[in-house]
Amino acid sequence: MNQKQQIILDLNEIFTDIIDEGEIMLNPETTANDIDGWDSLNHIQILAAIEKKYTFKFTLTEIQNLKNIDDLTNIIVQKTSA
Amino acid sequence: MMESFIDYTLAYIKEQNPIHYKKALKNIKELKKDDFFERATTFLDKYDQLLENNGKTRKYAIDCYLKLLADYTHEGLIFRETGKYSSTSFDEVNKRVYANPEIMQYYMHGLLVSQFLWKHHYVLLKYYIENLAHYVTAKSYLEIGGGHGLYVNEALNAFSEDTTFDVVDISESSINMAKHFVNNEKVNFIHTDVFDFHPKNKYDFITMGEVLEHVEDPVKLLLKVKDLLKPSGTLFLTTPTNAPAIDHLYLFRNYPDILAVLQKAGFCIENEIKVYAEDVSEEMAEEFKITMMFGGFLIKKL
Ligand SMILES: C[S@@+](CC[C@H](N)C(=O)[O-])C[C@H]1O[C@@H](n2cnc3c(N)ncnc32)[C@H](O)[C@@H]1O
Repeated sequence: MNQKQQIILDLNEIFTDIIDEGEIMLNPETTANDIDGWDSLNHIQILAAIEKKYTFKFTLTEIQNLKNIDDLTNIIVQKTSA
Repeated sequence: MMESFIDYTLAYIKEQNPIHYKKALKNIKELKKDDFFERATTFLDKYDQLLENNGKTRKYAIDCYLKLLADYTHEGLIFRETGKYSSTSFDEVNKRVYANPEIMQYYMHGLLVSQFLWKHHYVLLKYYIENLAHYVTAKSYLEIGGGHGLYVNEALNAFSEDTTFDVVDISESSINMAKHFVNNEKVNFIHTDVFDFHPKNKYDFITMGEVLEHVEDPVKLLLKVKDLLKPSGTLFLTTPTNAPAIDHLYLFRNYPDILAVLQKAGFCIENEIKVYAEDVSEEMAEEFKITMMFGGFLIKKL
């Protein structure tokens, strides 16, 4: 399994846990349009959980440009390899 | 006919920010059921005109709003972790925000759009408009930190012909935007820090929307406002709890925190409203530190 696939698995766990509406299956193209419970209230908790798990902070620009799971994965790859 | 501002906004947000779209859609659905909706449409027509006159587009306005949301999310993450607002000094915020036209422009456009997309904003605006009717005998009106100008615009409609209108704001960008939005010679715009404002006459009615959380010492600001108000005058005040933002300094954690400050400055509440920014139970709101907007008509304690 490559690094990105592993991250998506981790994200699956975080999303499932926070959204709490059954099992969630993320893929790189997934956006909030595909997941009902991914709303603004849950979003900030998801970001906070990611910050905690990978011990980094999102920048304003990263938050602004974040559209799908692939964007999120790329940020994590980039931040954790630095 | 042109697509309505609200329909345009929803379509654009759906495309650009699906995470926020859900909340925007829900709020707009509720707004559409409300008799306030027609009013909102009138404001937004006026806003369309302002954008056009300034060579700006609707897309620009919604982009400002989305940028504001990203800002709030960013500040929200810091707040969750530290339990504090990120800014601590007024001078720093003044330099970084109020005196920075680039930031201030997107901020005020974003804030104006939020007046219709956020329930806690439009419910407050509606509350203000509906209650202004009780104060129409006011002959002098002052607004502190008028920002985009939506509130003074409404006061112009409510108060009588011979009422005088002054607006003070520390940001030139705010003054410019409000001037264009209000577009009425009767309103006297003054670019100053409210603490440096020393008018000859006191006011019958003062509006101060979302400014109290922008100062280091809210009691000091309220004492200043009290001094600007006639003995029998009324202050309309709004301020949020738990609302992390780049220019917020004083953290009201809950309603009692707000009451304590009002009490200390010698104000009593005549009429009030409280609205949470999300549709959640009181317990959840407390647990997740959801923003609550307080609005009230206040008078001086005897
Ligand atoms: C968040 S906006 C509020 C706009 C509007 N009143 C509303 O309720 O939506 C705050 C406004 O207060 C102004 N402001 C902040 N501190 C101020 C001060 N010390 N004196 C005058 N204006 C101030 C800012 O420039 C900005 O336009």
